[in-house]
Amino acid sequence: MEEYHRHCDEVGFNADEAHNIVKECVDGVLGGEDYNQNNINQWTASIVEQSLTHLVKLGKAYKYIVTCAVVQRSAYGFHTASSCFWDTTSDGTCTIRWENRTMNCIVNVFAIAIVL
Amino acid sequence: MMSDSAKDRALHSLRKKGGLSPLSGLEFHRREVQARSKDSVSSVSYVDEPSQRDEISRLTVRMENTYQLGPMKHFPMVIINCILKDVLTNYLQEEKYKPELCRQMTKTLSEVIKTQVKELMIPRYKLIVVTHIGQLKDQSLFIGSRCLWDPKSDTVSSYIFRNSSLFALASVYAVYSE
Repeated sequence: MEEYHRHCDEVGFNADEAHNIVKECVDGVLGGEDYNQNNINQWTASIVEQSLTHLVKLGKAYKYIVTCAVVQRSAYGFHTASSCFWDTTSDGTCTIRWENRTMNCIVNVFAIAIVL
Repeated sequence: MMSDSAKDRALHSLRKKGGLSPLSGLEFHRREVQARSKDSVSSVSYVDEPSQRDEISRLTVRMENTYQLGPMKHFPMVIINCILKDVLTNYLQEEKYKPELCRQMTKTLSEVIKTQVKELMIPRYKLIVVTHIGQLKDQSLFIGSRCLWDPKSDTVSSYIFRNSSLFALASVYAVYSE
């Protein structure tokens, strides 16, 4: 009979760790900035790419999907929802809300385990 | 002026096996009340409670090798596009933006799209459906995403719907489970 060994110590996705990582990325890119239509493309790309890079550095066997929505702060409404079909013991999600005086930012991280 | 502090609850991964779906709803709704503005809070509308039985069963699951290198059947993106277009158009064509309605609508749309995509019964694929609805006015926003996956087997599809008072963006991510 073959033994099945788990390589990682913890089971499931560590949402707190991901939360901290992404929050730092967003603070670094958007901190102190005001909403600017010319830069928003670049900022969103930076946030998402930096988050992905840091998540990969954790070294866990996961596929990641990171989405980022940056909305100008105004009197108008915005709603987001997500629905997932996956293995709830190994996969997970984490959502980060960040805001400043001129904009709101929502980052979603979805992590799907790769079974090695 | 700082708004009232908002509760922020992230969705935690569930402990129940069987691929049951967690549904998370997040909303930003801002209403001008005289000179103040208020943030509404994020809320989780459906979460399964963990059960003790699952703790035990989680530890004893063993998977055998399938010796399969890639998906037998790829995800039909054309059909997904049609599903997205139909669902968004049918649900939102006649609607005007109303905060309560759209709050519920995002969750409903995510569930409906996910159910329809599941009915295609493509084996070994995990799904993520993300929906955004916003009021169509003069504000500016930007939505982007990046994925770290195997591009040969995993895909994404999205559709934007607009009418006179609102816009909606729905995306479906399909990830092959190796």
